[in-house]
Amino acid sequence: MNPRTLPGTLVQEIARAVADLPDVAFLRPGLAGRLRSAFSRTDPDTGPADGVRVTRRTGGAGWQVEIQLVARSRARTADVARAARSAAEERIAAALPDGRDDVRVTVVVTGLV
Amino acid sequence: MTAHTDPPTARSGAADDDERLPCGRLLSQVWEAWEDRADDPHLRTCPHCREALGELDRLESAVRGLRADPADADDPDGSDVARRVMDVVRLELRPGRPLPLGEPGEDLWVMEAVAARSLRAAAETVPGVRAGSCRLRPAPRDGAPGPVEVRLEIHAPHDAALPALAEQVRARVRDAADSALGLPVLAVDIRITDLVDGSADDQEGGAR
Repeated sequence: MNPRTLPGTLVQEIARAVADLPDVAFLRPGLAGRLRSAFSRTDPDTGPADGVRVTRRTGGAGWQVEIQLVARSRARTADVARAARSAAEERIAAALPDGRDDVRVTVVVTGLV
Repeated sequence: MTAHTDPPTARSGAADDDERLPCGRLLSQVWEAWEDRADDPHLRTCPHCREALGELDRLESAVRGLRADPADADDPDGSDVARRVMDVVRLELRPGRPLPLGEPGEDLWVMEAVAARSLRAAAETVPGVRAGSCRLRPAPRDGAPGPVEVRLEIHAPHDAALPALAEQVRARVRDAADSALGLPVLAVDIRITDLVDGSADDQEGGAR
């Protein structure tokens, strides 16, 4: 099954699940983006899903979920990224019980604190 | 989920967050000059650079007031938190390329500048060593980025036995890549680019 659309709340749910992990400090856009939106830009409201992007995979076969996060340095970075992907996949499986295999999750650690 | 692992370059490519000010300077350069306390007349006179530095000052002040993490009880004035947060801001501006974490095909990545910072810090745990440029290049494997080759430049204490010192640094870097990051490493190339005053017997390395 290849869902043509994703539930509108799925991205927000993924973002919340990942941001709530104990060794995830926060999601992108992170500090530089927030700094600029706070001081020098009239950025649109930056919701909690900024660190999660969902796109159609090349060729239209399934979906690509990319999560960008800043991790806590107290934890092994690969383990934090792995936990983030697991959290995202759980949300996807709950929302798309028949379509989870069509969703690929990528995690990028963009900072450590 | 598939095991296909193209690097996630669409949004996380180099300098995607960097910003060129109206005067032509990159925001990251202005911030670096400020941190290095560079004596640059342009920074003092240019209104755009001064505004950008004012923002940085405000951020640093705000961050120093943070007491969010009880684990930082040994950091009473928040200066360590401030340093770490400022590091994050700077790394967001110059992220480098994504490097693969974990096992092949896991599709987990860390940005080059983030990993390089950790490995430089690990090198500086060797007494008297100061880390310089740290470049990380993934070796191709099955058409996708594989384990990284690390090229690290260091300044060594003038009285050190250099082959042994290099081996010690290499071991610390490998250990940090594995235990702190989970970053597969193919090779660690240590280049000693200068000999500096200070003893290899110092208690602390060059950690600043």
